[in-house]
Amino acid sequence: MKTNTLSYKIKQYLIFAGLTTFIFASVVLVPFVYGLYLTFTSWDGVSLSKPFVGIENYVNAFADTSYWQSLGRTFIYSAIAVILVNAVAFIIAYMVTSGIKGQNFFRAGFFVPNLIGGIVLGYVWKFVFNKALVELAETITSGHAKSLLATETGAIAALIIVSVWQYAGYMMLIYVAGFMSVSEDVIEAAKIDGCTGSQSIFYISIPLMTASFVQCLFLTITRCFMVYDVNLSLTNGDPYGSSALAAMHVYNQAFINKNYGTGQAEALILFVICAIIGGIQVYVGKKGEVQA
Amino acid sequence: MENAKAARNKKIRHAIMIIVLTILFIAFIFPFIMVVINVFKVKADITAAPLALIGKHGFTLENFPNAIEKMNFFRSFGNSLFITIFATIGTIILSSMTAYLIVRNNWKANKILFVLMIASMVIPFQVLMIPLVSLYGGVFGILNHRLTLIFMHIGFSLSMATFMFHGSIHTNVPISLEEAATIDGCNKFQIFAQIVFPILKPTIATVAIIDAMAFWNDYLLPSLVLGRKELYTIPIATKVFYGTYSTDTGLIMAALLLAMLPILLLYIFLQKYIVEGITAGAVK
Amino acid sequence: MKKKIVSLVMVAAMAMSMVACGSSSDSGDSAASTGVSITVLNSKTEIQTQFEDMAEEYEKATGVHVEVYNADTDTTVASQVATKYASNDPYTLTMVDAKDIYSLADDYAYDLSNEDWASHTTLGIDVNGKLAGFPVCVEARGILYNADAIKEITGEDFDPASVATLDDFKALLDKLVAGGMEAPVGILSEYWSLGAHWFPMVYEEQEDPDAFVNSLLAGEADLAGNEKYNELMDTFETLVAYNYAKGSASNADREETSMMLAEGDIAFMFGGNWDWSVINQYDYTENMGIMPVPQNTEDGTNEMLVGGGSKYFFVDSSDATSEEERQAALDFLNWLVSDPEGNAFLTEQCALVPAFDNIDASALDPLSLSVKSYADAGKLVPNYNYLPDDHMTVVGQEIMQKYLDEAMTRDEVATSVVDYFKSATPIAH
Repeated sequence: MKTNTLSYKIKQYLIFAGLTTFIFASVVLVPFVYGLYLTFTSWDGVSLSKPFVGIENYVNAFADTSYWQSLGRTFIYSAIAVILVNAVAFIIAYMVTSGIKGQNFFRAGFFVPNLIGGIVLGYVWKFVFNKALVELAETITSGHAKSLLATETGAIAALIIVSVWQYAGYMMLIYVAGFMSVSEDVIEAAKIDGCTGSQSIFYISIPLMTASFVQCLFLTITRCFMVYDVNLSLTNGDPYGSSALAAMHVYNQAFINKNYGTGQAEALILFVICAIIGGIQVYVGKKGEVQA
Repeated sequence: MENAKAARNKKIRHAIMIIVLTILFIAFIFPFIMVVINVFKVKADITAAPLALIGKHGFTLENFPNAIEKMNFFRSFGNSLFITIFATIGTIILSSMTAYLIVRNNWKANKILFVLMIASMVIPFQVLMIPLVSLYGGVFGILNHRLTLIFMHIGFSLSMATFMFHGSIHTNVPISLEEAATIDGCNKFQIFAQIVFPILKPTIATVAIIDAMAFWNDYLLPSLVLGRKELYTIPIATKVFYGTYSTDTGLIMAALLLAMLPILLLYIFLQKYIVEGITAGAVK
Repeated sequence: MKKKIVSLVMVAAMAMSMVACGSSSDSGDSAASTGVSITVLNSKTEIQTQFEDMAEEYEKATGVHVEVYNADTDTTVASQVATKYASNDPYTLTMVDAKDIYSLADDYAYDLSNEDWASHTTLGIDVNGKLAGFPVCVEARGILYNADAIKEITGEDFDPASVATLDDFKALLDKLVAGGMEAPVGILSEYWSLGAHWFPMVYEEQEDPDAFVNSLLAGEADLAGNEKYNELMDTFETLVAYNYAKGSASNADREETSMMLAEGDIAFMFGGNWDWSVINQYDYTENMGIMPVPQNTEDGTNEMLVGGGSKYFFVDSSDATSEEERQAALDFLNWLVSDPEGNAFLTEQCALVPAFDNIDASALDPLSLSVKSYADAGKLVPNYNYLPDDHMTVVGQEIMQKYLDEAMTRDEVATSVVDYFKSATPIAH
């Protein structure tokens, strides 16, 4: 069969990816391009006129110091959260695939946090931080306790805790799939060759699980960078706007402050930064992937 | 001798792991304990004593029927189920096929599509929000249909699902199997459907649970697309309990538990498949 | 196996959705259905239940189907309205805040000048010569008090007029503390309370609010030296000093603060009559009210509440709404003002202080009664509706929350606010 002709390629492409391309383009690409156009207008988000203003929105975005502050905060938050999420998820995944009793129960249990959507999850945690934990602390110390959410670093720490709680189970699932796809035979063979348990993790499982790592890192990095709903329902920027992360700043800029164009431009800058970081990470990761 | 020692070591290791897991588990489950405790209290008691097992006004089951009635639970449940099932199935079929094409053919078009998809995963949704409604509402006028939402759900989740299948096909599907099938006279689609797809079971289960959950819980997109009450999904319907000047804490907790159950069942059900998928893998 | 399950689930889903479709198509059977259906956005989320009940009754009586949507509290009403217009699927009748009317009126609001109710109110909003906003109710801000809690300690009936000055107010607070109420005051930490309710009083109680805000925008006003600013900040500092949540003031929980006021654990809280819907969830007393914010001032503002018309309906004028629907919306507004049932809905079911002089309102909740008595006596300082859009978040969250936590001095507040105004976008009006 000729597999090199253009018509063969087109036919294969249409069979396997035609519909995907159509849906993806109409839901993501086209609106994105239109959104890009809107960054060159001074539209307020509601009126009928959308005056063209050139790059003014980008100039405003670069001059918006609180945007860059929120971006800096997002970097710190993401760095810590990404490391913690993946470390916790990997360790849990290892433990629940090691053949201990009740591992299915644990797998389900750690996954449960994901069953609550982002916004509701934030409200539940706010309740836990502000009420349950404060009351618990007050009973134990019999003094006045301050909620973690009341201080500037505390609020960011709370966001990190909730992110770990929320994503660790999710990432655990991917790592579990990774651990399980490493075939028993390979591990057995390694044992016969004298590998200890930890050696087989580091020299066999981890390299074979590169795909899982690439996926998990990419997912956590992008999610952390764009986190919005938990930020909104857990802290809403309090105290003093010190916990507003980049996506929240962007949203407020566009819809609360009614600078739609500037908000949109800032969102695009956020997008470019994420795309660069994510791209590098995936590129490096995919290079190291082991072919079966 | 050696074996006995190894067995004992293994036992100790397992015991330590169970302890660590249990501690972590309690931390993970704590917020749910809070929900379960407070769902049986009236609002005044929830504010006054969130940790108490039973409030001053006593044990109540009222929150459940009230939540069910106020959020029109059964109708919203039907909508959520319909949308989640079809969007999930659509996503899995389309993205696994696309991923297969991309992994096995090093064409320029594939590369471009894959890069665009990966890049699209980091587009903040706010960027697309207004353009999306302007296009589908203002130009095409097809908002307020469940099918439109399914279409969009698929569009937004294709990228990540393709990405996950890509990694999995790349690593876990031996090309030798396919070569054998080609010699037997299978065409590409047959190879995919009969050989590759079954091997992907663990990933399918993973993608299914992750996407089903995302669709089930999504609020922002459905709220933009479904502007009519009879189309509301559970998360939109739950919003009636949040007011600017009042929040019905008890009802929220009840709604939360009600909304969670189906997904929990799905997960427990699919978990078995993840295990089966491995043992049935073609690697042996 | 897999196929079986999938098909099973699908069947279930189909069945479900059919049930869903079936149940949604029943229509009113009392009055003949006119087939006209209007949509309403309700951004006063605390009256949503009452609104829905009323809509059912209204349909029975008139045959017009009214579908009431609750505003999304995670975003602003303005952005919700914006998305609706972007999707070309606007509400027939939209309830927004006063400032939103100004940005929406030119493009989307129908002129209401010829409506019968127009002569019964002075609170409607005119934009460029057309009457665009129908006032839903009157709301006012001040200090909420629990008279029972005060009487329990002082032994005397509480008279709000006796604490008009800050000095008298402080004396009472000390008395309460001495009598065993550790901290008699609650301050809501939400940025809308600080940035849209408290701080704007600094402008609203100036002689000419518009001129003052304009001078701030021009970078010319001396805020730190402004008399009104200092009077109000004196009072605020007193409130902070007696705040029950001192130490984590910026994290005080609204439900808890309201509960404490309702049950008399604290005696005062800054707020407005809308707070009743939270207070009445707890073991409240009827002996509550709103009093002016105490100030050491000569200008008389310590005898007045701040407020006026609140929440406005506008009728969509775009092509997405048919003539019939528009007429139905206009009829509905008229019904609210002129029909006894409509009046009862506003005053009795929703406990709103009516914005129309022909509506009788004697059966209101204690806070609304306070507001009404001040309104009737002409003792309301009007709202200032032209603050820049981000005033609420910047001044409320970034500045006043810090001040509430005593992490900022009064001079720093003034400097920050002045700086903010230099780069703020004025609202055209």
